[in-house]
Amino acid sequence: MPTMQINVGPIHPSTHGVLKLVVDVDGDTVKRVEPHIGFLHRGVEKLVETRMYMQSPSYMEKLDYVAPLSWDELFVSAVEKATKIEVKERAQYARMVLLEFQRIASHLLWLGTFCNDMGQMFTAFMWAFRDRARVIKFLEDVSGSRMFYVNLRLGGLDRELPPGFKEEGLELADYIYDKIHDYRRLLEDDPIFIERTRNVGILKLEDAIELGVSGPVLRASGMKEDVRASEPYYFYNKIHFKVPTQTRADSLARYRVRMEEIVESVRIIKHALNMMPEKGDVKGLPIKLLGPNANPDPITISRELPRGEGMIYMVPDKQKPYRLSMRSPAFANLQALSKLCEGVKFADIFTILGSLDIVLAEIDR
Amino acid sequence: MLEIQKEALLKTLESKKQEGYSYLKKVTAVDYVDRLEVLYFIYNPASHASETVKVRLSPDKAMVNTVVGIYKAADWHERELAEMFGIAIKGRKAGRLLLEKWNGVEAPLRKGFVWGNKEYKRI
Repeated sequence: MPTMQINVGPIHPSTHGVLKLVVDVDGDTVKRVEPHIGFLHRGVEKLVETRMYMQSPSYMEKLDYVAPLSWDELFVSAVEKATKIEVKERAQYARMVLLEFQRIASHLLWLGTFCNDMGQMFTAFMWAFRDRARVIKFLEDVSGSRMFYVNLRLGGLDRELPPGFKEEGLELADYIYDKIHDYRRLLEDDPIFIERTRNVGILKLEDAIELGVSGPVLRASGMKEDVRASEPYYFYNKIHFKVPTQTRADSLARYRVRMEEIVESVRIIKHALNMMPEKGDVKGLPIKLLGPNANPDPITISRELPRGEGMIYMVPDKQKPYRLSMRSPAFANLQALSKLCEGVKFADIFTILGSLDIVLAEIDR
Repeated sequence: MLEIQKEALLKTLESKKQEGYSYLKKVTAVDYVDRLEVLYFIYNPASHASETVKVRLSPDKAMVNTVVGIYKAADWHERELAEMFGIAIKGRKAGRLLLEKWNGVEAPLRKGFVWGNKEYKRI
């Protein structure tokens, strides 16, 4: 049978944005997959060059609308590094808690949509969204906004933490921890889910390093690499947590790594809430017309985002970035798709794509 | 930060890879108007050491060798570099545009490109 070419997308429910895949198939077997990106390219890197530092966080949040706070925090930290502003101790703990809750929300959204792609129709999706809604409610209580928080300021947060931050945080962390067992029972006892993910999309460790993937995808291939552990920021070095890894390197392994990461996030949250000083200020500098001047030396800063390692290379000017370059983890992870899809069945493309957990807004920038 | 001549790029990266810097994080560039700087962020997973290799180019005839032969991860980053900075990548076939879906604007991340400037010429 001659090879046939099929266009998948640009609008497709499994692509989390606008992604086109050009797939060469021989019967049902995939010969080649070529991802076409750029439909969501907005020129953010150019845009922030024209904005004052603290005008940009809201653009940063739209890079990854599933976990907006993580990119926001990365950018604000880059500015803090350039302007040499210390973050207050209580605010550092508060940021850790918020970031880990953000990671949980992101992984839960991923879990729900991944199961939908998988044919595990709507039960897991509804459960995941129910629990994500509670996490988002918590973040809303802190920031005043449901999706796009923009509540980080240089040196801290924009307002005091709400009363009951610690108690509610601990309760929510326990709740999520309980629910993880429900998910695992629902999915790992489900033969369809296991059959559709086991041995599908195997990414060997040497290929993973060669292709520059990061985050859960890299850890599922067996490498113990996490920015929180290798270059700790805030108080991650004071907290004991595991970096979950798997060796099977298939879609099931990537699912398992993310589930274990939720458990580790819960652990970090509980530690951070207990270690957080009871009293103290968390407020950062208010946004003014002119902020503090930045040091012109270029800076590089890395963070472990829910999707992998995010990095900003910034050449600062006094009040604006002269150049801001962003390493999007999903950009590198999507590069691996062509390699992963060689020789699989057509229906498995969406398992593999889902297991990479991409967000196109961040890839195209 | 390791600043090298552009002729020595492939040799340097290859020796760095032998040393254990097997992971390429990002390739990017900065336009300083009088010069272009291309940066390669490499990482050693065993020792958690990061290194940046920097190459200076002249802005008129910016050209740099492809490093895909050493780091496969550089593939899309180089395509982005070519589109956004108008840097020719030696050793690559001209292919489909990666990020831009329109024609007529080249090198938007160069400082000479100003939004809304109709007089802007292709480099």
